[in-house]
Amino acid sequence: MASLISCPHCGVRPKEEFAIKGAVLSRPAPDAGHQAWTEYVYLRDNPRGIHREYWHHTSGCRRWLVVTRDTASHEVELCLDAAAAKLAGVRP
Amino acid sequence: MSDFRIALRPALGSATGPASRGVSLTAMPEGHVVQVLGRRPHAPDLSGVLEKAAGPAHRAVHAAGPGQWFIVGDAPLSRDEFAALSAALQPHATAVDQSHGRIRIRVEGTMVERMLAKGTAVDLDPGAFPVGTSAMTLLGHVSVHLTRIEIAVFEIMVLRGFAESLWEDLVRMSAEFA
Repeated sequence: MASLISCPHCGVRPKEEFAIKGAVLSRPAPDAGHQAWTEYVYLRDNPRGIHREYWHHTSGCRRWLVVTRDTASHEVELCLDAAAAKLAGVRP
Repeated sequence: MSDFRIALRPALGSATGPASRGVSLTAMPEGHVVQVLGRRPHAPDLSGVLEKAAGPAHRAVHAAGPGQWFIVGDAPLSRDEFAALSAALQPHATAVDQSHGRIRIRVEGTMVERMLAKGTAVDLDPGAFPVGTSAMTLLGHVSVHLTRIEIAVFEIMVLRGFAESLWEDLVRMSAEFA
Protein backbone atom coordinates (compact mmCIF):
# COMPACT_ATOMS: atom_id res chain seq x y z
CA MET A 1 0.00 0.00 0.00
CA ALA A 2 1.10 3.54 -0.64
CA SER A 3 2.77 4.71 2.54
CA LEU A 4 2.95 8.44 1.83
CA ILE A 5 -0.14 10.40 0.78
CA SER A 6 0.24 13.94 -0.53
CA CYS A 7 -2.74 15.62 1.12
CA PRO A 8 -3.76 18.76 -0.83
CA HIS A 9 -4.12 20.64 2.48
CA CYS A 10 -1.36 19.24 4.71
CA GLY A 11 1.36 18.08 2.33
CA VAL A 12 2.99 14.67 2.40
CA ARG A 13 1.84 12.58 5.38
CA PRO A 14 2.16 8.91 6.36
CA LYS A 15 -0.78 6.58 5.74
CA GLU A 16 -1.24 6.04 9.50
CA GLU A 17 -2.88 9.47 9.68
CA PHE A 18 -5.65 8.41 7.28
CA ALA A 19 -8.71 6.18 7.37
CA ILE A 20 -9.74 4.48 4.14
CA LYS A 21 -13.39 4.21 3.22
CA GLY A 22 -13.01 2.32 -0.03
CA ALA A 23 -13.62 2.54 -3.75
CA VAL A 24 -15.23 5.60 -5.28
CA LEU A 25 -18.56 4.35 -6.61
CA SER A 26 -21.57 6.26 -7.83
CA ARG A 27 -24.61 5.67 -5.66
CA PRO A 28 -27.56 4.04 -7.48
CA ALA A 29 -30.95 5.75 -7.62
CA PRO A 30 -33.22 4.87 -4.66
CA ASP A 31 -35.46 2.80 -6.95
CA ALA A 32 -32.62 1.18 -8.87
CA GLY A 33 -33.61 -2.27 -7.71
CA HIS A 34 -32.22 -5.06 -5.57
CA GLN A 35 -29.43 -6.11 -7.94
CA ALA A 36 -27.94 -2.62 -8.34
CA TRP A 37 -28.02 -1.98 -4.60
CA THR A 38 -26.50 -5.35 -3.73
CA GLU A 39 -23.63 -4.62 -6.10
CA TYR A 40 -23.17 -1.12 -4.68
CA VAL A 41 -23.19 -2.27 -1.06
CA TYR A 42 -21.40 -5.64 -1.21
CA LEU A 43 -19.48 -6.23 -4.41
CA ARG A 44 -16.01 -4.79 -4.93
CA ASP A 45 -13.38 -5.22 -7.59
CA ASN A 46 -9.84 -5.96 -6.50
CA PRO A 47 -7.99 -4.22 -9.30
CA ARG A 48 -4.31 -4.49 -10.09
CA GLY A 49 -3.22 -1.03 -11.19
CA ILE A 50 -4.98 2.30 -10.92
CA HIS A 51 -7.53 2.41 -8.11
CA ARG A 52 -9.63 5.32 -6.87
CA GLU A 53 -10.61 5.46 -3.22
CA TYR A 54 -12.07 7.77 -0.60
CA TRP A 55 -9.54 8.49 2.14
CA HIS A 56 -10.25 10.52 5.27
CA HIS A 57 -7.38 12.53 6.76
CA THR A 58 -8.51 11.66 10.29
CA SER A 59 -5.40 12.84 12.14
CA GLY A 60 -4.77 15.83 9.92
CA CYS A 61 -7.16 18.24 8.22
CA ARG A 62 -10.16 15.89 8.72
CA ARG A 63 -11.20 16.30 5.07
CA TRP A 64 -12.39 13.59 2.70
CA LEU A 65 -9.97 13.06 -0.15
CA VAL A 66 -10.11 11.12 -3.39
CA VAL A 67 -6.83 9.25 -3.77
CA THR A 68 -5.90 7.73 -7.11
CA ARG A 69 -3.17 5.17 -6.53
CA ASP A 70 -1.57 2.21 -8.23
CA THR A 71 -2.11 -1.00 -6.27
CA ALA A 72 0.84 -2.67 -8.03
CA SER A 73 3.54 0.00 -7.83
CA HIS A 74 2.17 1.79 -4.72
CA GLU A 75 2.50 5.14 -6.47
CA VAL A 76 -0.03 7.85 -5.69
CA GLU A 77 -1.07 9.49 -8.91
CA LEU A 78 -3.50 12.12 -7.68
CA CYS A 79 -4.95 13.31 -4.41
CA LEU A 80 -7.89 15.72 -4.38
CA ASP A 81 -10.19 17.15 -1.74
CA ALA A 82 -13.48 15.36 -2.47
CA ALA A 83 -15.71 18.40 -1.86
CA ALA A 84 -13.43 20.82 -3.71
CA ALA A 85 -13.25 18.47 -6.69
CA LYS A 86 -17.04 18.23 -6.74
CA LEU A 87 -17.41 22.03 -6.55
CA ALA A 88 -14.93 22.50 -9.37
CA GLY A 89 -16.85 19.98 -11.45
CA VAL A 90 -13.90 17.57 -11.61
CA ARG A 91 -15.10 13.98 -11.79
CA PRO A 92 -12.85 12.60 -9.05
CA MET B 1 -28.13 17.26 44.99
CA SER B 2 -24.61 15.93 44.74
CA ASP B 3 -22.84 15.05 48.00
CA PHE B 4 -19.48 16.22 46.81
CA ARG B 5 -18.14 19.28 45.14
CA ILE B 6 -16.45 18.88 41.77
CA ALA B 7 -12.86 20.00 42.10
CA LEU B 8 -11.17 21.54 39.07
CA ARG B 9 -7.64 20.24 38.87
CA PRO B 10 -5.09 21.05 36.16
CA ALA B 11 -4.61 18.09 33.81
CA LEU B 12 -0.83 18.23 34.16
CA GLY B 13 -0.72 19.54 37.71
CA SER B 14 1.90 17.23 39.15
CA ALA B 15 3.77 16.46 35.94
CA THR B 16 7.48 17.14 35.92
CA GLY B 17 9.56 17.09 32.78
CA PRO B 18 13.03 17.79 31.50
CA ALA B 19 14.26 21.36 31.72
CA SER B 20 17.57 21.46 29.91
CA ARG B 21 19.01 23.53 27.09
CA GLY B 22 18.39 20.64 24.72
CA VAL B 23 14.70 20.10 25.45
CA SER B 24 12.44 21.50 28.10
CA LEU B 25 8.75 20.77 28.64
CA THR B 26 6.26 23.10 30.32
CA ALA B 27 2.53 22.71 30.86
CA MET B 28 0.99 25.95 29.61
CA PRO B 29 -1.69 27.77 31.64
CA GLU B 30 -5.18 26.35 31.11
CA GLY B 31 -6.48 29.64 29.71
CA HIS B 32 -8.74 29.40 26.73
CA VAL B 33 -8.97 27.46 23.50
CA VAL B 34 -11.70 28.47 21.08
CA GLN B 35 -12.29 26.39 17.98
CA VAL B 36 -13.41 28.44 14.99
CA LEU B 37 -15.28 26.74 12.17
CA GLY B 38 -15.75 28.63 8.92
CA ARG B 39 -19.20 28.51 7.34
CA ARG B 40 -17.73 26.84 4.29
CA PRO B 41 -14.37 25.07 4.16
CA HIS B 42 -13.53 26.79 0.89
CA ALA B 43 -14.65 30.22 2.02
CA PRO B 44 -12.57 33.29 1.17
CA ASP B 45 -9.66 34.19 3.43
CA LEU B 46 -10.92 35.00 6.93
CA SER B 47 -7.60 36.11 8.44
CA GLY B 48 -8.78 39.73 8.77
CA VAL B 49 -12.00 38.70 10.55
CA LEU B 50 -10.09 36.33 12.84
CA GLU B 51 -7.46 38.86 13.81
CA LYS B 52 -10.12 41.46 14.56
CA ALA B 53 -12.14 38.97 16.61
CA ALA B 54 -9.10 37.74 18.54
CA GLY B 55 -8.19 41.33 19.37
CA PRO B 56 -5.01 42.47 21.06
CA ALA B 57 -5.70 40.52 24.28
CA HIS B 58 -2.61 38.28 24.07
CA ARG B 59 -4.40 35.71 21.96
CA ALA B 60 -3.01 33.78 19.06
CA VAL B 61 -4.80 32.40 16.00
CA HIS B 62 -3.56 29.01 14.82
CA ALA B 63 -4.73 27.40 11.59
CA ALA B 64 -6.22 23.90 11.94
CA GLY B 65 -7.09 22.70 8.46
CA PRO B 66 -9.21 24.28 5.73
CA GLY B 67 -11.77 26.67 7.21
CA GLN B 68 -10.81 25.87 10.82
CA TRP B 69 -8.74 27.67 13.41
CA PHE B 70 -7.95 27.71 17.12
CA ILE B 71 -7.84 30.97 19.05
CA VAL B 72 -5.74 30.39 22.17
CA GLY B 73 -4.64 32.48 25.13
CA ASP B 74 -3.22 32.07 28.62
CA ALA B 75 -6.00 33.88 30.51
CA PRO B 76 -9.39 32.24 31.19
CA LEU B 77 -12.19 33.57 29.02
CA SER B 78 -15.25 34.97 30.76
CA ARG B 79 -18.76 34.31 29.49
CA ASP B 80 -19.00 37.88 28.15
CA GLU B 81 -15.61 37.73 26.47
CA PHE B 82 -16.56 34.51 24.71
CA ALA B 83 -19.88 36.02 23.61
CA ALA B 84 -18.05 39.06 22.19
CA LEU B 85 -15.56 36.84 20.37
CA SER B 86 -18.35 34.69 19.01
CA ALA B 87 -20.31 37.74 17.84
CA ALA B 88 -17.25 39.22 16.11
CA LEU B 89 -16.89 36.08 14.01
CA GLN B 90 -20.48 36.12 12.77
CA PRO B 91 -21.63 35.55 10.08
CA HIS B 92 -18.37 34.19 8.68
CA ALA B 93 -17.58 31.56 11.27
CA THR B 94 -18.80 29.85 14.43
CA ALA B 95 -16.87 29.74 17.71
CA VAL B 96 -16.90 26.71 20.02
CA ASP B 97 -15.34 26.96 23.47
CA GLN B 98 -12.88 24.09 23.91
CA SER B 99 -11.04 25.52 26.93
CA HIS B 100 -12.13 22.59 29.11
CA GLY B 101 -11.16 19.99 26.54
CA ARG B 102 -7.71 20.85 25.25
CA ILE B 103 -4.37 21.17 26.98
CA ARG B 104 -1.36 23.05 25.68
CA ILE B 105 2.22 21.97 26.24
CA ARG B 106 5.23 24.13 25.46
CA VAL B 107 8.34 22.34 24.22
CA GLU B 108 11.52 24.22 23.54
CA GLY B 109 15.24 23.83 23.19
CA THR B 110 18.01 23.36 20.72
CA MET B 111 17.04 19.70 20.07
CA VAL B 112 13.29 20.20 19.97
CA GLU B 113 12.85 19.28 16.29
CA ARG B 114 14.85 16.11 16.71
CA MET B 115 12.77 15.14 19.72
CA LEU B 116 9.45 15.79 17.92
CA ALA B 117 10.65 13.99 14.79
CA LYS B 118 10.52 10.76 16.78
CA GLY B 119 6.74 11.06 16.86
CA THR B 120 5.59 12.90 13.76
CA ALA B 121 6.30 12.76 10.04
CA VAL B 122 5.77 16.51 9.53
CA ASP B 123 8.87 18.23 8.16
CA LEU B 124 9.89 20.51 11.04
CA ASP B 125 12.79 22.22 9.28
CA PRO B 126 12.42 26.00 9.88
CA GLY B 127 12.40 26.45 6.09
CA ALA B 128 9.42 24.13 5.62
CA PHE B 129 7.72 24.88 8.94
CA PRO B 130 8.44 28.54 9.80
CA VAL B 131 7.34 30.41 12.93
CA GLY B 132 3.54 30.68 13.00
CA THR B 133 2.91 27.47 11.03
CA SER B 134 0.49 24.93 12.47
CA ALA B 135 -0.23 21.32 11.63
CA MET B 136 -2.68 18.72 12.86
CA THR B 137 -0.77 15.48 13.01
CA LEU B 138 -0.10 12.28 14.90
CA LEU B 139 2.57 12.31 17.60
CA GLY B 140 3.07 8.63 18.18
CA HIS B 141 -0.53 7.40 18.37
CA VAL B 142 -1.95 10.63 19.76
CA SER B 143 -3.59 13.23 17.55
CA VAL B 144 -2.13 16.67 18.27
CA HIS B 145 -2.10 20.21 16.95
CA LEU B 146 1.45 21.44 16.55
CA THR B 147 2.47 25.10 16.17
CA ARG B 148 5.90 26.67 15.95
CA ILE B 149 5.49 29.76 18.13
CA GLU B 150 9.15 30.79 18.15
CA ILE B 151 12.19 29.57 16.26
CA ALA B 152 12.99 26.87 18.85
CA VAL B 153 9.63 26.72 20.65
CA PHE B 154 6.62 24.57 19.76
CA GLU B 155 3.16 24.53 21.26
CA ILE B 156 1.46 21.13 21.31
CA MET B 157 -2.28 21.10 21.83
CA VAL B 158 -3.89 17.81 22.76
CA LEU B 159 -7.25 16.53 23.99
CA ARG B 160 -7.34 16.78 27.77
CA GLY B 161 -7.75 13.05 28.32
CA PHE B 162 -4.58 12.35 26.35
CA ALA B 163 -2.49 15.07 28.00
CA GLU B 164 -0.89 12.97 30.71
CA SER B 165 -0.15 10.09 28.36
CA LEU B 166 1.37 12.45 25.79
CA TRP B 167 3.42 14.13 28.52
CA GLU B 168 4.91 10.76 29.50
CA ASP B 169 5.71 10.06 25.85
CA LEU B 170 7.39 13.46 25.48
CA VAL B 171 9.46 12.91 28.63
CA ARG B 172 10.66 9.59 27.24
CA MET B 173 11.35 11.10 23.80
CA SER B 174 13.37 13.89 25.45
CA ALA B 175 15.41 11.64 27.75
CA GLU B 176 18.47 11.44 25.51
CA PHE B 177 18.67 15.25 25.16
CA ALA B 178 18.23 16.07 28.84
